[in-house]
Amino acid sequence: MRYVATIDQRTYAIDILPDGKLLVDGEERDAGFLSLDDKSLYSLLVDHISYEGLVEEIDGQYNVLLWGALYTVKVMDERELRLAKASAAFVPAGGELSIRAPMPGLIVDVPVTPGQEVRAGQTLVILESMKMQNELKIPRDGRVHQIHVKPGDSVEHNKILITIT
Amino acid sequence: MVETTLIKRILIANRGEIAIRVIQACRELGIHSVALYSDVDRASLHVRQADEAYLIGGARPLESYLVIDRVLEIAKKAGVDAVHPGYGFLAERADFAQACLDEGLIFIGPRPHSIGLMGDKLAARELMRKAGVPVIPGTPPGLTNDEMIAAAVTEVGFPLMVKAAAGGGGKGIRIVASPEDLPAALASARREAEAAFGDGTVYLEKLIENARHIEFQILADAYGTTIHLGERECSIQRRHQKLLEESPSVAVDDELRERMGAIAVRAAQAADYLNAGTIEFLVDRDKNFYFLEMNTRIQVEHPVTEAVTGLDLVKEQIRIARGRRMGPTQESINMKGWALECRINAEDPYNNFLPSVGKVTALIMPTGPGVRVDSGVYDGYEVTPYYDSLLAKLICWGETRGEAILRMRRALSEYRIMGVHTNIPFHQRLLNSHRFMAGSINTSFVEERFEIEKEDDDEQAEIAAILATLVAHRDRQQAAQIVQRNARDVSNWTWVGRWERMQR
Repeated sequence: MRYVATIDQRTYAIDILPDGKLLVDGEERDAGFLSLDDKSLYSLLVDHISYEGLVEEIDGQYNVLLWGALYTVKVMDERELRLAKASAAFVPAGGELSIRAPMPGLIVDVPVTPGQEVRAGQTLVILESMKMQNELKIPRDGRVHQIHVKPGDSVEHNKILITIT
Repeated sequence: MVETTLIKRILIANRGEIAIRVIQACRELGIHSVALYSDVDRASLHVRQADEAYLIGGARPLESYLVIDRVLEIAKKAGVDAVHPGYGFLAERADFAQACLDEGLIFIGPRPHSIGLMGDKLAARELMRKAGVPVIPGTPPGLTNDEMIAAAVTEVGFPLMVKAAAGGGGKGIRIVASPEDLPAALASARREAEAAFGDGTVYLEKLIENARHIEFQILADAYGTTIHLGERECSIQRRHQKLLEESPSVAVDDELRERMGAIAVRAAQAADYLNAGTIEFLVDRDKNFYFLEMNTRIQVEHPVTEAVTGLDLVKEQIRIARGRRMGPTQESINMKGWALECRINAEDPYNNFLPSVGKVTALIMPTGPGVRVDSGVYDGYEVTPYYDSLLAKLICWGETRGEAILRMRRALSEYRIMGVHTNIPFHQRLLNSHRFMAGSINTSFVEERFEIEKEDDDEQAEIAAILATLVAHRDRQQAAQIVQRNARDVSNWTWVGRWERMQR
């Protein structure tokens, strides 16, 4: 079975062979894998080197915690990879982007106006939560399309605050 | 003549790790602990560990942990002798301490008037100046803009800070580099102070550049004995929030410790201080030190002092509150080795330290020699947005600073928590930085000289990819197995199971 795992921009082609051996980017690796708590804790022996990691699936991606470092891994089998490649062609380059509340909180300020051009890294919303004022920034350049909140509003987790085109 | 009393039941007017810390001290002393909880804290660890627990109110602190009348009502109902306020919430409210005394309860902390004196940053400054404690050059409060500008130019000098008289938590502070920026900074600091504290009074203070934040732990009992337990260095801060503390400090030698300690004791005595407290100083490159403020409570970072002195500060607090003499003497204090504390916060260091909420889905805490964890969370605990983001404190002790750092690195790598983001990667990177290892730090280190970005450890990333793929493979085989019920015998899932066993 062939999989492609992606971490940030880097991809790894991983074949799981019927005898339990692995091919990682074509190179044979001996991997022993064991669930330790039937939940999220795994022991992994790769060529006899021992690793212990926590793995959790969230929205189709796997969060892996190894020695304090957290990796988000997208794992696709060949069929999914083909589908992803095919549909990528139809997604417009810019597209609408929704800025959502990363946590529940209180809107302190919305220092932008509809129609305003914004640059990557610019603050769109200041959200107070856990006694801290948090600046929510835009990840790419764009134009403010709609503002769905105003200062003083309480918002739930994941509420769309601002849409960007 | 000091009266000694027995304390049998203590109400802990707090939550999270510090409430648990107090419960632990109570348990060791055979004292019954009584906890409070808000609507969202029913499942919190402090409720699970206390001997008794009472609902105090809604999730927001203003509806629960900050309501003095409710705390006192519960204290009466639970029949406690004493109240421990922890840190934060009501800990530095003179009116709360007084209200406890008025109800005939022992307040485990300083006298109400000491809290009041030190809570007013300007009154504290004035008191310290009179007591011969060095203070940072600055102006008195309440001056008009024009007077302030004149004083700034002639007396204080630039760069300077505009500070709120009622300040705290970094609010109402502006740094001003040159005279022309001063009027705007005064106006905005006043606005922010007015909004945050209901008091827009500000004053000016010289900015001590490249300063270290070094504080002294104080203990004072009712018999007039006041001692210091050495220093803690808390220069690793971000937006005025401490992130890592250590004791001792690389910047303090025996001679300076003796001098600063004596001044800290004098400062506490000037405030008529009782119980545990902390005198904060700024120390410049030439080892000049200036009084910053006094914290009239147990501090978050008290465990590093406990680690190097071998004392239990919370138990000393209770002992002093009972009217007994404190355990140690100044001569018996002997700092041994080195201790570091990392604050483990629910925040994402890769995303502007944005707080992270959610359910803790896995938690394995480090153990082993020289490692202590003061934690307020457990596997399955829901981190809510209502309180501060401190999940736990990781404290490591070593014979030397080097050993303490190596232990801390090991312990951080063993700390496994899933479900919420934590600042563990920040601490790991910090402990690997040469400047930190050399002890060459000051309060602007994190903001000015420290970059946190994803490290490229290709080998480890590959292992993460392999692990995720194996889990994904198993999950898919398992899903396929449920769909194809008839595919008996050598199903893919049993194949994975057998494969797992074979590989053991």
